[in-house]
Amino acid sequence: MIVRYLLAALVAGLFSGVLMTAAQEARVVPLILHAEEFEGGDEAAPATEGSTPSTDGAAATHEHSSLGAVVLDVAAYLSPVSVAYAHDAEGHEDGGIMFGMSRFSGTLLANLVTGAGFALLLAGFSLVSGHPITVANGALWGAAGWLAVHMLPAIGLPPELPGFPAADLTQRQIWWVAAVVLSAAGLYLLFLKPGIVAKIAGVVLIAAPQVYGAPQPSDISSAVPAVLGAEFAVAALATTLFFWIVLGLSLGFANEKIAKAA
Amino acid sequence: MAVSNTSSITLSASDRLVAGVLALLLGGFLVFGAGLANSAVLHDTAHDTRHSYGFPCH
Repeated sequence: MIVRYLLAALVAGLFSGVLMTAAQEARVVPLILHAEEFEGGDEAAPATEGSTPSTDGAAATHEHSSLGAVVLDVAAYLSPVSVAYAHDAEGHEDGGIMFGMSRFSGTLLANLVTGAGFALLLAGFSLVSGHPITVANGALWGAAGWLAVHMLPAIGLPPELPGFPAADLTQRQIWWVAAVVLSAAGLYLLFLKPGIVAKIAGVVLIAAPQVYGAPQPSDISSAVPAVLGAEFAVAALATTLFFWIVLGLSLGFANEKIAKAA
Repeated sequence: MAVSNTSSITLSASDRLVAGVLALLLGGFLVFGAGLANSAVLHDTAHDTRHSYGFPCH
């Protein structure tokens, strides 16, 4: 029986991941590609650091502030292709797309994994809290997942385009994970726990990461046009909302068809 | 409890907890790998996905 619940989540997640890929290709990926035209040499930095371990190379790429503009220019000059553009893995010792897949295949694979992951997290949350996800309430579960994972964290860390200025990656990831966990706990208290004390505690939990504040870059200048950033932020939030509503509904459907059909 | 209206619930409370925790662990692992892991290969493969989902990236 336990396996059936996990299987239902996997089916819903993979299905949502496929639909999300279509939505992304239509609304989001064109903006990413457009932004990369303005990104300059930033992405090419690892090409000069082939001898360093891959994690160091990746970290160095991301610390825009610590790398001088000269280094970036040299890196751009030396590298014929940026890592993010790389359609084939060969020639990139540190990086490149897994199994030599195309960029689209990599995105599809990542969406399938991410979809399955979020589906399992949503199903796990529902099972542990004892509130089943059905077709009737699936869209609301999905909307709550979107609030916790995307909308509320985006208040502090809006979806970034390649080439956008940003604070230290690790700091942002820690804040992001904390914001997701606190927002999810807060939404649970707000929506699923009766009583005024639970509601107030929920609001406090949701507000806490925002009051603490997300790590922000010291220099916000960017070569990427602001209009692209605005379009991207809306497109990213809209497509993830679509993803979560599909996920909630399909998880409700899969729960009723697979998990309880034993 | 809210579960009482769904007569088709067949998991016992402890099984439900086991399934839930398993799902949370597995789901967290998958999302971490696709969205947050600091590996150049994973990053490049999932690049457009990471940006689209608003994962902290770069």
